[in-house]
Formats: sequence, C-alpha cells, structure tokens
Amino acid sequence: MKKLVKKKITLLISFILVTVSCSTTNVTEEAVYESVVSSVEVSVDEDKSSPNELNDYSAKAVIANAVVYFDFDQYSLSNKSIQTLRSIVKVMKDNEDLEITVSGHADERGTREYNLALGQRRGKAVRDYLMLNGISKNRINVKSYGEEYPLVKGSNESSWAKNRRAEIN
Amino acid sequence: MKKLILLIFLAFNAQSELVLEITKSSNDPYKIAIHDFLGAKDIAPFIESIVKADLIRTGEFDVLGSEDLLSDIRNDGLINYKGYRLLGVDFILIGKVINEGDSSLTIEYAIHDTSKEKKIRSSKVYGIPNKTRQLAHYVSDGIYEEITDLPGVASTKMLYVSEVDRSSSKIFRLMMSDSDGMNEQVLLRSNKPIISPTWSPDSKRVAYVSFETGMAKVFIQNIATGSREIALENKYQISSPSFSPDGKYLSLTLYQDGNAEIYILDLSNKNLTRLTNHYAIDTESSWSPDGKKILFTSGRSGSPQLYEINLLKFNNKPRRLTFDGNYNAKASYMPNNEGIVFVHRSGNEFQIALKYFNENFSRPLTESKLDESPSISPNGNVIIYAIKEQDQGMLAGVTLSGAKFKLPATSGEVREPSWSGYLR
Repeated sequence: MKKLVKKKITLLISFILVTVSCSTTNVTEEAVYESVVSSVEVSVDEDKSSPNELNDYSAKAVIANAVVYFDFDQYSLSNKSIQTLRSIVKVMKDNEDLEITVSGHADERGTREYNLALGQRRGKAVRDYLMLNGISKNRINVKSYGEEYPLVKGSNESSWAKNRRAEIN
Repeated sequence: MKKLILLIFLAFNAQSELVLEITKSSNDPYKIAIHDFLGAKDIAPFIESIVKADLIRTGEFDVLGSEDLLSDIRNDGLINYKGYRLLGVDFILIGKVINEGDSSLTIEYAIHDTSKEKKIRSSKVYGIPNKTRQLAHYVSDGIYEEITDLPGVASTKMLYVSEVDRSSSKIFRLMMSDSDGMNEQVLLRSNKPIISPTWSPDSKRVAYVSFETGMAKVFIQNIATGSREIALENKYQISSPSFSPDGKYLSLTLYQDGNAEIYILDLSNKNLTRLTNHYAIDTESSWSPDGKKILFTSGRSGSPQLYEINLLKFNNKPRRLTFDGNYNAKASYMPNNEGIVFVHRSGNEFQIALKYFNENFSRPLTESKLDESPSISPNGNVIIYAIKEQDQGMLAGVTLSGAKFKLPATSGEVREPSWSGYLR
C-alpha cells in the first residue's frame, strides 16, 4: 500500500516536471573543458628477433627453420606439416643445444584478439608435437603475433592461406 | 640486445587526419533550419559548419542552411513559424559567436520549436579560442540533447591505431581524435604493433596491447601526463584489456598455461582472479554496464561464440548467447544493457551485428566483407568499427537509425576504434 502511494507521487512529480519543461525555455550555460595530452614514443632496436626475419643460426651450422600452415580457425597439424616437423625433431635430437621459437600467426579474417589466441594455439600445436616426439619443453619457446605480421598482403584466399602459419626458427 | 627508447612529450597534431564522409542518412530525420551564425565573421562560419556536420553525422537530422530558406530572420522575436512549418522544418537554430580576442570565445544559441511556436532552449557555451572545435561540439550536443532527450556524443573522443608503412619498417601509432576524426593526437608511437585500445570509465586513462617487449603485453597510460605502466608484470603473454565500470578492475586475457584464459586484475593490489578454465580459447572480455556480468568469446563449442558469466553467482557456468553462424566474437554490451554488438560471420563475410536480449536472432548492421572491432558510443546510438576497402583499413560508423559514415585516413591504415565515455 505504501509502495503504491509512493509510485503515485513519483508519477505526479514527473508529470509536473514534464509540464514545467513544456511551458518554459530551457536555459543552460556551460564551460568547455579539454585536458592536455602527452605523447609517448617507444622504439625497439632490432636484434633480428623480428618474426619475419630468420634468426641467424649459420654460426652453429645447424638450422631449424620451417613454416607450417593451417586451415581457417584451425590449429590442427596437416600431414604435410607433420612431415616438416619430423625433420625439425631430427635436427633438434642431433643438436641438443638447439632451442627454437615457434611463432603463431593468423590471417586477417576474424577479430584481432581471437586471432592472437589462435596464433598461440598454432604455436602450441607445434610444440605439443615436438614434445610428443621427445623434445624437451624448455627448448621450445612459443609466442603469437596474431594477424599483426602477415607474410603476404591482400584480402584473398591465396594470401590468407600463406598467413595462417607457425614459423619455427 | 634490445634497446628501448622511451620519450614523452606534449602531443603534436599528426598529419594523417581522417576525412569524414557521410554515406547515408536515416529515413525519418528531424528537420532543423540552421541560420548563418552571427557575430565574429572570421570564426562564425567555421563553428556553424562543425555543428551542421555533427548533426548530420548523428543520422537523425536533416539540416537546412540559410541557402535553403526563404526569408532570413535576424530577430527571433519575429519568427514566421508557419512559414517554417510549410517547409517541413521542425526546429530552428539561431547562433551567435562572441570572440573576445585570445581570452574567451562564447557561443550563444537558441532553439525554436515550430510546432510549439516558441523558443525551447537558450544556451551559452564558453571557453578559450584554441578549443574552437570542442566549443562547437558542445553546441551540437546541447541541440541533440534538447531535441532527442539523449546526451549527444559530438564532444566525445575516439582511440584508434594507425599503421604507416615506411620503406624499411612499419610505424604504429595509438591515436586519439575528436568523434569526427579531427584534432588527431598521438598517444603512443612505436615500431611494434599496438592492438585493443580501450578507455578507463573516466576517460583519463587508456589501456592497450603493445608488442614492444617482443610479445603481447597490456599497458595502462595516463592521457594527460603520458606516464604508463605494464598492467601485470610476468613472463606470459597478456592481452584484451577491459576496465570495469568503476575503473577499479581490469579484465584481461592471460596465456599463463599456454592457453588464452580470462582473469580479473584488481588494479589497487594487482591480485588476479581467474574467471575461465577451459582448454579452448577464452578471450575478448568486456563488462556489463552495471559491472555484474562479463561477456567473452570462447571456442569451446568448436567455433568462436559469445558467452556471459554472472560475477555475483558463486561457481556459475558461462551461458552461451549466440547460436547462429560459426563465428561470433568481440562483443560489448549496449550501454542500456538491452543487447550486445559483435562481429558475426555471414557466409564468407564478417559483419557487425546487434542482438537484443529479448530477440532470438541477430540483426546485421553492416554489409562489407571484413568488418571488425565494433565500439559503441556512450549514448548507445552509434557504432564505430573498422573496415577494409581496396586492402586499406579505415573506420566507418553506423547509427541505430540507419545512417552511415566513413572516416578514411589520408595516409596509411586505421583500425581498432574505441569510443570514450562522456566528456562534457
């Protein structure tokens, strides 16, 4: 009962407010505020660790470089990819000091954050295969660049297929 | 060896300004007659043109200038309301600019309602002359608010990322501009990618993902001072930040066990609370306007779909929100909490869609091929998003009333837009 009365009063007040705003001119005065802005600049000097440049392992005379490709929104390894990874396993078994970085990438379709996560899954799929074949986890560093470093520009299937990849180096 | 050079300076205006293009307006707009602004001859036409563009961009106004009107009225005591009504005009705007040198700039404006045959608003906006654009945006927002009963967003800001290819390297910039793409300022310049910029609720700080350390990390930066910090120090990849509505927490995606999982970071003590635990991808978290729920993208059904977690329930299970199509991602709640806006795959095309909670289907809002990163204006009426045209990234907007606009960059690519809260 009490509640009902309250409601009625609110209704009455809002009715009065509406009436008031209908019958007079709305007068306002405001000052414009805008805050200052500071810029920051960061610049990273390359140590050849950029994902699109191959690391220089020539001094060690051993190279474990490879790229494997994936289907859209997928992170499972194809038979062809497994062929490639077998040779990586062999190189890593023959050279026990060799450590690798697997960087996962995605094509431009879909959202950037989901693609970052997808790139990580692709990198992890490669690592899981290598681990399953006896390579120690600490020799494999996985990271993702999502769709931020396409190998090939262009919004078409042939570019996208080349960009859905995991790079091993 | 990696060398990190860090510079902070007062923001400069960048050269790659966005150029606004209105591509379509809504079906049933308010018709407003805007007379030539009176007063300071050097600046009045400029202010008038900004106000006109702001109103047109909302998609809810059809603007008539002096050239479209039969008679000129200089004295608002003698307005021929009937004459305006015959032209279909609903409202009349009369503006005046008072420029007192370097010290102050004032805009006075009045709105008349032709059906009520009276002045419904009389307002004054003042500031310093070098904030002319923002003064004009305040006027636009006052007009919008008076007529639609919703706050305007012309005086709000946008964040976005620009990428320019130089011969040997790429330059990534986190930019802030007015809502019309003008007044661009650089918040961060880097030679490594920047993604996922987002505002703190008070619009004084921004959070974003930068790859400057060699992997994705979330940073929080103060806009005014340029001071910034890594949100969470550890050796893992971190991404997808989103501030809670009270600004005290940051939800983020942490790759601690090699897989994307969502956590909530308490910004006061850096305590982490884990929110998801699934072998599939969980990412792109965002908060409901009341801060009680979190929306996210998960691959747990085999394709990316949207889920919601109620933070108030103990040990609750995520609830799936989308069922149509095999790709629904990067969602945010509408400010009125009536639905969600997200990226939806339709056939081979990625578009922005809206789903109201009381409907069991999604409404497509856009129709190009690679639309992404939708961000909703604080009044809920406009969605800005990223598109690709001829392999070039640019920004575009769509209003719920059906109007569309584009903000192409004059150089390089722009993407990842994020709309601020109210600043007025």
